[in-house]
Amino acid sequence: MLLGTSAAAALGGVLAGFGTSQAVAGPATAAAPAQQGPQYLPFHGKYQSGILDAPQAHAVFVGWNLNWRDGGKKDQLRSLLKMITDDAQRLTAGRGVLADTEAEMAAGPSDLTLTVGVGQSLLDVMGGAKVGTLPGFAGDKLHKRYGQSDLLIQFCGQDPTVLAHAVRAVSKNLRGLADKQFIQRGFMHQRGSGDTFRNLFGQVDGVNNPQGETRELAVFGTPDQPSWIANGTTLALRRFEMDLEGWDEVATSGRDFALGRRQSDGSPLTGSVPEDPVDLDAVNEVGLPVIGANSHVALAMPRSAQEAIHRRGYNFVDVEASGLLFASYQRDPATSFIPLQRRLAEADLLNTWLTPRGSALYAILPGIEPGMYLGQQLLG
Amino acid sequence: MNTKNTLKTTAALLGLGLLLTGCAQDGANATGAAASESPATQASSLQASETWAKAAQTGMTAAFGVLHNAGSTDIELAKVEDQAGNVIQIHETTGTGTDAKMSQLDGALKIEAGKDAVLEPGGTHLMYMDLKAPLVASETASLTLSFSDGSSTEVPFEVRNFTGAKESYENHGGMDHGSMDHESMNHDG
Repeated sequence: MLLGTSAAAALGGVLAGFGTSQAVAGPATAAAPAQQGPQYLPFHGKYQSGILDAPQAHAVFVGWNLNWRDGGKKDQLRSLLKMITDDAQRLTAGRGVLADTEAEMAAGPSDLTLTVGVGQSLLDVMGGAKVGTLPGFAGDKLHKRYGQSDLLIQFCGQDPTVLAHAVRAVSKNLRGLADKQFIQRGFMHQRGSGDTFRNLFGQVDGVNNPQGETRELAVFGTPDQPSWIANGTTLALRRFEMDLEGWDEVATSGRDFALGRRQSDGSPLTGSVPEDPVDLDAVNEVGLPVIGANSHVALAMPRSAQEAIHRRGYNFVDVEASGLLFASYQRDPATSFIPLQRRLAEADLLNTWLTPRGSALYAILPGIEPGMYLGQQLLG
Repeated sequence: MNTKNTLKTTAALLGLGLLLTGCAQDGANATGAAASESPATQASSLQASETWAKAAQTGMTAAFGVLHNAGSTDIELAKVEDQAGNVIQIHETTGTGTDAKMSQLDGALKIEAGKDAVLEPGGTHLMYMDLKAPLVASETASLTLSFSDGSSTEVPFEVRNFTGAKESYENHGGMDHGSMDHESMNHDG
């Protein structure tokens, strides 16, 4: 969702997005630049991987709740995070985890990333920091299973088999220590389309996602104004079911009006290419707004630079439902994701065909250097 | 696009660097001296990597890993102990599948100069005979490895869940586990 969020524009940035230009290139003009194949992405660094990186084709979001033993929770959490750190650095380098019975499946570069976040419950164990939880939003019909968990790992990669192994390997290591609350699998485009992809409504999603430094600023803030911790961020994960049967009945003009952009190419109704400005003041020949005030793009448009978010969502198709795993990274959800989501939840024309089923907020741990473990900045 | 490709290339180089760092780290994780020096003791020739132990509440369990002799002379692992006072034996497995037989190694485990002793499920392993306290997954078990020259070194073994290697070692002609409890013969080794 949050299609056409003009975050970069709000920040005064200039968008010449790689993803955007790819989005308008149809099959006939697909003179794609020579792509390097998937790689082993670095695990160590200032930030965790899987956030600023171009989204991989496949994602699995897994939430766990910890089983505490007798004794200090801090020590238990520390050893668990050390294990996950070891697992992640092995898997992202194409190696099996310790005690891996299928280490062969880890081999082969696939841009695999594991991005680790903790809920407020674990932040409390770590001491001090606050990110809170997401409030309820209008229209929420949440399934408990897709709600807040203690621990979240976002697994992303280009190869679903490598990805499945990574999830399995980490799950086996966590057996007994934590119970899986949810596993949410998502997919988007083939590699090379940048941030934009077709969601299951057929819309071009991800237009005007902040790029480059603007993205980094929206996600991690600045040294003076960081997220909940320096080089950490927050992830809001919302699961939206789409009423595809109902959507079938909506004519193209109705679809485009609800979104404020054209399904055909993602261009705003006040422009001709996706990156054209969304002009909420434009009126048609009879004086009516071209883009409705309750259209998705009108409501999703950031009201200030503080509202900028970085969307990294994925489609999902399950037996019982289809929709969008809306994954949003932002420095401070209280000033960005929450007001924005509230606005959309109350009035977005697309809500007719959307049902929120999951909602959770995680503190994404800061990146680490070799020899460190995730969370060491708090637990060390 | 140029920027993008440049970034990708950088990422590739970083990735390569990481792999190398990763390998180096395994070595660093090991105890003992660098291969280039002439070590004073057998213990200082040992470089242990990929060391892990199977989580268990009680009874028998095992520890695995790669023990590399970085020295220029052979070393002999004679004894394994821990702080808790667990009885830990060096076991070897001969044969495969249902014909596999495990037994305590007769004498020390010899590791030739420059070679590895690979301790793995179904092969040679370090056997906890009867845990005095649980080995909890994600925690670290520390073992003191002593060598035939009397030197010793402490090696961390990461405790992990493992449900494999449940070959039955019912009296299959010749198996001799001495005082082992035959009711728990689903031996993890």
